[in-house]
Amino acid sequence: MARVIVAKVAEIPPGQRKIVVPFRGRAGIGVFNVAGSFYALRNICPHRSGPLCTGELSGRVTTDEPPSGDGKIPSVSGLGEILRCPWHQWPFEIASGRCLVNPEIRVATYEVTIDGDDVVVEYEDR
Amino acid sequence: MSQAGAAPITAPGWTARPKDGVALVDCDVHHNFRHHEQLLPYLSTFYQEHMLDQGLHLGTYSNIPLRTNRTDLRGRPEKRDRTEIDHSGGLETLDSDATSGSRDFNYSLEFLQREHLDRWNIDYALLTGPPAFYAYSGLPDPDWAAALCRAFNDWTIEHWLGRDERVVNAIFVSPSDPAQAVAEIDRLADRKDTVAVLVPMETSMPMGNRFYHPIWEACERHGLPVISHVGGAGGANRTTPTPVGFPTYYMESRMSRPTVASAQATSLIVEGVFEKFKTLKVALIEVQQLWAVSVMWHLDADWRALRDQTPWLKRLPSEYFREHIRVGSQPLHEPERPEQLHQMLEMLHADETLIYCSDFPHFDWNDPVATFPKLSEHLHQRIFADNALEMLTL
Repeated sequence: MARVIVAKVAEIPPGQRKIVVPFRGRAGIGVFNVAGSFYALRNICPHRSGPLCTGELSGRVTTDEPPSGDGKIPSVSGLGEILRCPWHQWPFEIASGRCLVNPEIRVATYEVTIDGDDVVVEYEDR
Repeated sequence: MSQAGAAPITAPGWTARPKDGVALVDCDVHHNFRHHEQLLPYLSTFYQEHMLDQGLHLGTYSNIPLRTNRTDLRGRPEKRDRTEIDHSGGLETLDSDATSGSRDFNYSLEFLQREHLDRWNIDYALLTGPPAFYAYSGLPDPDWAAALCRAFNDWTIEHWLGRDERVVNAIFVSPSDPAQAVAEIDRLADRKDTVAVLVPMETSMPMGNRFYHPIWEACERHGLPVISHVGGAGGANRTTPTPVGFPTYYMESRMSRPTVASAQATSLIVEGVFEKFKTLKVALIEVQQLWAVSVMWHLDADWRALRDQTPWLKRLPSEYFREHIRVGSQPLHEPERPEQLHQMLEMLHADETLIYCSDFPHFDWNDPVATFPKLSEHLHQRIFADNALEMLTL
């Protein structure tokens, strides 16, 4: 197991991110602070290899049924928990790396721990 | 079902292969009257006066050639004489003596039986009426449009139904007034020979619009699929048949049809019609086929980026397409190399989506034998019978 200190905690406040390059390749990783929880994703979109971690943040838009003019509208939850690739707007769940529109793909994720003031990313060193 | 394999074989190329069960369902057989005045007995006095005083209120522009029907069916090879030339083309208007088929032959159930059903061993033939009639859907007066549809349905019942179990019918409705369309569906849905509802494809708004949902609700409630044949408001009088204006030549009009089908299929899917009406089926016919592959592929790609606009879609758009939308086989593409047609059928999921349509008796019809290359037994059965049987719940 390898440990890399990628940032000080204060560098990445909630809702912010830090792109760390290089990190196991020149594309690097994105380290995200989502409401106090830290996550790290590989900065290569599994769709077409775009710079995923530089995309906009959004939320989950859901509804039970098509609109019918009865006043019910879709709801938006988890704003800031979804990352959209800047190239083609495919949405990914930051916490899991899961792609919301293609269950067959996910982006690689890395374990992030907080060690005092340090943000530490761990990975299997093979 | 008793008809399968029973009729004499007379068509060139058709080899007798008697089968158990249903082998051949034709989802586009045009029936027709000789003159619109034949509808008078089926109209109320008010609308009889309307027709006699004012005509049909149809527009007159059409670039469809007079030779709309198979000329072998006329019984005379000569070209038309000048008394048969009308001011507006043969197919897309009824505002003259010129309706599809009317001048060419005395079109009747007996003619259909002799020239088509018996000849090709057709088990079921779905009547799709005169395309000229589809222009009623674009009449600005929705009450007149609904009255004409009712009259046409009653005329069909009297002159074409109840005498041959092979002949099944689609209820004609005008989508311009959904309430009256629903009433007409409710009036006729329980007839044994009613197997579908016919809505012309060129509507004033895309079909997924909630304005039309009452019609789709009625279809689903009665277990009837929607048959949407090319034609309608764009035939003459309300919308242009292409998104870029009126075409000069009929070939241009024909090439615009896949764009209409693409727009309608896409609208039905993305507006969530198939999430709302989970058993509804819609068949889009006489619009070629490759557009459907394009819609499935392009929509799936777009949906992944644009899903937040339509979060009611729970599955890939192509999955809705394959479950709910059917594509008519006519006019079938004729690619450069025969194997390309097999490739298209695979891309189209033809074993789920394609239904055989002859378009009898029009000049661009596709016979059931020579049109297709040799198919696997399974695919043949799906295209020529089972996809339609499941849709029409025969």
